[in-house]
Amino acid sequence: MKKRSVGRAVLFTILVLFPAGLMGAQAPSSRPAEPPPPSLPRVFLDWPGADVAFFRTEIPFVEFVSGLEEAQVRVFVMPQGPPESEKFSLEFSGLKGFQGDDNTLPYVPDPGAKPEDVTRGIVGVVKIGLLRYAAKTPAAKDLSVRFLDQAKPTSVVDKWDFWVFSLSASTFLMGETQYRTELYSGSVSANRITPELKIQTSVYGNREDYWFDLGDGEIYESSSHGYGFSGLAVKSLSEHWSAGAFLSAKSSTYYNLKLSATIAPAVEYNVFPYDESTKRQFRILYRIGYTGTRYHEETIFFKTSEVLLQESLSWAYEVKRPWGTISLKLEGSHFFHDLSKNRVELSAEADVRIWKGLSFDLYGRYSRVRDQLGLPRGGASYEEVLLRQKQLATDYDYYISIGLNFTFGSTRSSVVNPRFGNGGRSISISM
Amino acid sequence: MRTSPGAAPLPALAMVLVLSLAAHSFAIQENQAGVEELKKTALKVYLDCDSCDLEYIKTEITFVNYVRDRLEAQVHILVTSQATGGGGVEYTLTFIGQNDLKGASDVQKSFSTKSDTDDDVRRGLVKTLKLGLMSFVGRTPISKRIAVDYAPPDKALPGRDRWNFWVFSLSGSGYFSGEESYNDHYLDFSISANRVTPGSKVRLGVSVDTSKTKYEIEDEIITGTKSSWAGSGLFVKSLGEHWSAGAYVEAESSLYRNIDLGMSVAPAVEYNFFPYSESTRRQLRALYKLALNPVKYREATVYGKMRETLLKEALSLTLDLREKWGTVSLSAAGSHYFHDLSKYRVDTFAYLSLRLYKGLSIYILGSQTWTHDQLSLVGRELTFEERLLRLRQLPTVSDYYFAFGFQFQFGSIFANVINPRFGSVGASGMQISVN
Repeated sequence: MKKRSVGRAVLFTILVLFPAGLMGAQAPSSRPAEPPPPSLPRVFLDWPGADVAFFRTEIPFVEFVSGLEEAQVRVFVMPQGPPESEKFSLEFSGLKGFQGDDNTLPYVPDPGAKPEDVTRGIVGVVKIGLLRYAAKTPAAKDLSVRFLDQAKPTSVVDKWDFWVFSLSASTFLMGETQYRTELYSGSVSANRITPELKIQTSVYGNREDYWFDLGDGEIYESSSHGYGFSGLAVKSLSEHWSAGAFLSAKSSTYYNLKLSATIAPAVEYNVFPYDESTKRQFRILYRIGYTGTRYHEETIFFKTSEVLLQESLSWAYEVKRPWGTISLKLEGSHFFHDLSKNRVELSAEADVRIWKGLSFDLYGRYSRVRDQLGLPRGGASYEEVLLRQKQLATDYDYYISIGLNFTFGSTRSSVVNPRFGNGGRSISISM
Repeated sequence: MRTSPGAAPLPALAMVLVLSLAAHSFAIQENQAGVEELKKTALKVYLDCDSCDLEYIKTEITFVNYVRDRLEAQVHILVTSQATGGGGVEYTLTFIGQNDLKGASDVQKSFSTKSDTDDDVRRGLVKTLKLGLMSFVGRTPISKRIAVDYAPPDKALPGRDRWNFWVFSLSGSGYFSGEESYNDHYLDFSISANRVTPGSKVRLGVSVDTSKTKYEIEDEIITGTKSSWAGSGLFVKSLGEHWSAGAYVEAESSLYRNIDLGMSVAPAVEYNFFPYSESTRRQLRALYKLALNPVKYREATVYGKMRETLLKEALSLTLDLREKWGTVSLSAAGSHYFHDLSKYRVDTFAYLSLRLYKGLSIYILGSQTWTHDQLSLVGRELTFEERLLRLRQLPTVSDYYFAFGFQFQFGSIFANVINPRFGSVGASGMQISVN
């Protein structure tokens, strides 16, 4: 059966590609004329008596022209106010292809500035004002804008002292004639994040309900829920070190937890400075903490409640460079009362361009699980297993997704043609 | 107070050195204090972009202040994206001046290609953002501390396009997951060939996928398998700013839908109430399609058919808007078969994400489908596993989903700070993204 399908797929490909081949052959005659690549923007400086040669040397990414007829941009320098406290208004008007692309920038010289300083200042503002036009020409790729200083992100006037509060709630309902599911979730959070101290707190809750009509009047219904609190406080000690604590409390029917509370101090070392974290980071985090738990059902270890000490160590390496992104994480933890109750988790993510149009992506996770202390003695029902509503006994769990993509052909393919849509809508919902 | 001529130069030199060093460090300090002062009056920006690497942008562009709420900003930067013919993305950055900068505006574009890495994409966006921002930053004193470098190329532009706009792509992916008592895998492979120009659009593709799920319950093993393949072709010709005409050609086989081989040829015509050139911000498209569909089933259907040839017509209406105050996406589609007019379906979809007031935003997502055209349903009784694992299509007359959520934020309006220490905790709740 399978073989026949594939045979048809091949035949169909040939059928479909054939008319396409014809279209490709006809294409050159009806090919839309591409606009010729525009060179540098042509600018007319409307400031009688100006030293245009000085503007030319200072602003090399435009072409200064002598007449308004050939110009694409007109820069009109208009002095305002009395000569001793002179101000300038610089009007940029787009012409031809830039029609309607207008802007005005002010220039106020420092008190007592010499005439050459004023000219230099005006050139600086003209340069900045012309960037919007240059950005629309091929010159854009040869331009770069640099901030000469480093300003602290907290140098602002903030009456809330960086606290942000957030309330959110959402619900998702889905159904068919024989199947229904309902999800609800809500959270309240208060965060204060500054480079020196990070505080994140939130209270959340969620609930899931399922309903199945199994035929012959047989109905299966189930519900699961979870709620909790999570908090984190981190103090920055240096460019490489941080210290803080995790605080959490949660309840979950999936994990058989009536209430589980954790307090865990932790310390982190980043091999690279933290301010490079969007490009590369290698963080090593150690945490040790007490967890007090009360279970819904008696566990396979005959416990209904317990207080345990656990430690964990994790290595997280992440690099994002022009050739791609790689992130690796290894985490190990164990309980102190019984060292055989431990867990090792390895996860990896990569999205790498191997060669020109060839790229590779991978996401994988593997865990060796020896610490399922909360498994209920009663086990799970047949339906709970199939619907994955209860944690099951396992020694491992894994998830791997890999993809390979090869693209070749035209490199002038940045054309957008929205006709008949660009494929379907994709909706993703995650909890 | 006379010192020997030989001794004098050394302390004097040291003194000069110390003085100049002190002066230098004092200048730096003063300069630094000046920058912090300049930062306070820096441009307030609201960056409205779902797909951007915001942390990276905030680390790379520090001469503006980022705010959390759009109404606080002097510039609202709306970033919209559209797929390009080569499988890349065109980002349109619309700069909208607000409050004291009302009336100032600009539109800039940034392009990525299909093989661009995340870093290529974010660096391209940062460059375009910087260049576009300068028209607004030029009004604030901090602009004095900005330098512009220009390194002109020494080589002419690349020659003509020998591929004549054709772009080919091969993709394969696999997905595997499991535990002791459960495992799941999925494989797919696809080939596509596209040629997109402003005047016409050709999209061809073939894809194959297969999946298998295995459960072990009390020594009993339950296995569920699904597989399908499909081939599709789309040909569109542009007829002015509002009209387009074309055809869909499709073939498919699906275990889930009980189709051994289904083919479809459908000429179609489309009218866009807005000009196509505004499509990244707004479109309202009406599409009419007439489809001829010969089909062969795997098992006899509920109507006792093994094969049939169907004729169907379909009309759909789609509205997409992206504005400062939010996103609106609505669509309605209806179709019916000609051999029996009671075999029809209606699909409706709505997504609204609105920033209603300072700090308050809501979203509504909903869809309702009325299905009276399940001609391919399996005639026999389905097994328990086929139902629970959804291995075969089940009879339904309607299905729906609906989601609603709100978020209210208050407190500090600034969103400048990046602090990656210890990662991040807290429940983010439900995340919904619609593309």
